[in-house]
Amino acid sequence: MSIATAAAPGNVTGSVTGKAEAIRVENLHKSFGPHEVLKGVSISAKEGDVVTLIGGSGSGKSTLLRCVNFLETPSSGRILIGGEEVRCRGDGTPSDRRQIERIRQSLGMVFQQFNLWTHKTVLENLIEVPVHVLKKPKDEAVATARKLLDRVGLAAKENAYPAFLSGGQQQRAAIARALCMEPRAMLFDEPTSALDPELVGEVLAVIRSLADEGRTMLLVTHEMKFAREVSDHIVYLYNGLIEEEGPPDQLFGAPQSARLKQFLKSVS
Amino acid sequence: MESTLGLLALSPPGWGGTLLVALWASIRIAVGAFGIGLVIGLAGAYGKIYGGPILRDCLGVYTTMVRALPELILILLLYFGLTDLMNRALLVMGYERIQISGVVAGIIVLGVVQGAYATEILRGAILAVPAGQIEAAKAMGMPARKVASRITLPTMLGLALPGLSNLWLIATKDTALMAIVGFNELTLATRQAASTTKAFFTFFIAAGLIYLVITLISTWGFARLERWARRGDPPRQAGGR
Amino acid sequence: MKALLQPHRIVMLLIAAGLVMWICLAGRWDWLWEPKYQTLILQGVWRTIWLLALSVLIGFALAVPLGLAQASGPWYLAVPARVFCTVIRGTPLLLQVWLLYYGLGSLFPGIPWIRESDLWPILRQAWPYALLALSLSYAGYEGEVMRGAFASVPRGQIEAARAMGMPRHKILTRISFPQALQSVLPTLGGETVLQLKATPLVATITVLEIYAASSRVRQDLLITYEPLFFVAAVYLALAGVIVLGFAWLESRRPRRTA
Repeated sequence: MSIATAAAPGNVTGSVTGKAEAIRVENLHKSFGPHEVLKGVSISAKEGDVVTLIGGSGSGKSTLLRCVNFLETPSSGRILIGGEEVRCRGDGTPSDRRQIERIRQSLGMVFQQFNLWTHKTVLENLIEVPVHVLKKPKDEAVATARKLLDRVGLAAKENAYPAFLSGGQQQRAAIARALCMEPRAMLFDEPTSALDPELVGEVLAVIRSLADEGRTMLLVTHEMKFAREVSDHIVYLYNGLIEEEGPPDQLFGAPQSARLKQFLKSVS
Repeated sequence: MESTLGLLALSPPGWGGTLLVALWASIRIAVGAFGIGLVIGLAGAYGKIYGGPILRDCLGVYTTMVRALPELILILLLYFGLTDLMNRALLVMGYERIQISGVVAGIIVLGVVQGAYATEILRGAILAVPAGQIEAAKAMGMPARKVASRITLPTMLGLALPGLSNLWLIATKDTALMAIVGFNELTLATRQAASTTKAFFTFFIAAGLIYLVITLISTWGFARLERWARRGDPPRQAGGR
Repeated sequence: MKALLQPHRIVMLLIAAGLVMWICLAGRWDWLWEPKYQTLILQGVWRTIWLLALSVLIGFALAVPLGLAQASGPWYLAVPARVFCTVIRGTPLLLQVWLLYYGLGSLFPGIPWIRESDLWPILRQAWPYALLALSLSYAGYEGEVMRGAFASVPRGQIEAARAMGMPRHKILTRISFPQALQSVLPTLGGETVLQLKATPLVATITVLEIYAASSRVRQDLLITYEPLFFVAAVYLALAGVIVLGFAWLESRRPRRTA
């Protein structure tokens, strides 16, 4: 692919196969004022990988995810999406707005609070960006959107406004909205944390089906059992640094660091 | 009483026709001023939120001054000041002096006043749009201008409409101030009719009713608009989850 | 203080100071030293202040029952109160001022017992009509504000008072009204500035307040801008006093921590 991928240093993690690299983060730092949230984190996800970030609150896992599509501006470090490096100025802010927009269009983000647009129906939410930004023909976008709504089990709700849906339905619609962009990779930021317990299952089922069809995903979650089942690689963050990482069975079955052992005990 | 009601007839010797012509002038000024106010307000709100420190401070001076000074004095200052400045500029560029028509002057002057209030209303509404709504749009790669026009503005409309409705009512009533600078709108026409015929109550109450009808129709219209803008709001149920 | 010392603010302050200097030096200000105009201006400021103060007091005294009637009164009180507020808020103040002054003013001389009463010398002047119009206007707007305030006193507060056997008027004076007043104080500050901005309208019915005084100067000396700048400064100062006064009132608000 690109030179950046070919020249990858050895310390970057990821399952060692011949697949191309979808997301690569190198030595990422992020500060909010004097408070340093990320202190040099490197991760990598190859095409088809499911990489899950776990850790306590304040460990920096959500910030890391939000840096990947530049909802937060990294203080320093490199980010490569599909081998393409995001060009930044000296202070870390992206220098090319168009490039950021294009890269964001290739990454489907799912938020903890769903963030469906409240003034648009479910269907309008799905076709908004394809029609008004990517300039796809409307009937084509609507056909795709209906297919995706059917897939997440919301075919009957296409004309409802988000506020009239349950949390689980809203999150499934938000996943469908992200899928409408035919993204190269999906980013999930604690997708079930805002849901009532009885609604978590229906959302996890949708995410699992996406993992099963071989989508690249970066997932932040507190659902440890689910993470163990779907992930190819787990990263445990503590206080802005990677404390431990590896395949799920290794990480959950035989954790090495004392902090990870303590963390796993506290969440189980 | 019967005789004075006859004075409201549309054709002379009745004064109804005169009043309607003046009403039309009032409405034109109100609509124009409200429109200009919205444009200034939108630009001002975005300037206050996203502008640099100098722009923000200048807008702060503008909104504070306009809201602290009586409209009447602003109207006189702007009316004389703007025509003066414009004529001087025209003379420098070698053109003839021009006389600004009353309607245009009224629209511009009241528009500048309305703009200050609209700036604050729209700024508050834009800031009240949940951050997640904008973030979701950014995360899907929407360009900033699209985020503003397709997400932020439609979402904030429901929040801004009560304030804007109030502002529109102020616009309709502030047109009466143009009477003091001698512009023949509804209130001045009413006073002329009243002092000519000595039927003070008849004419002032008639004019009051006209203003009241405008108010009631506008309130109803804005309420409908708001209901439409808030169509995606959560259903209001007794109790709750 | 630190915020004022940012470089661009210093430049802006210098520009503002320069503008003021230029207005002071280039304008014609000799009239400020003429005793004739000095008395005119001082009287004008004084009239503005007492018209404002009295109309706010009378208006607020009317606004409380107007708000209460709408929030929790029986329909035969609520409906008239609602109509009154709608009419006042739905028509221009200038029209109300003119209706009272020209309308009542033309009616009264024809009524013998008013002409012969002791009040007639007062009613022949313009200021009673100005005061009445301003007070009614303030009552109309504030009646609406008070309605909201009374309606937003938490039901539980009133139920607690009822459960302890408080009589209705006690609940009103001890529970509802203090809470409503606290919640409207910030609004009232803004509304009182609006009321100040409305006072120059009474100049149109020959009440010689500060705006009318400045118009007199403009007509006498045929100058346009200087008197306008001068009254603008007076109104800014008065508005500042009102804002500070209400801030002080709010800061006195009891904070029970124990």
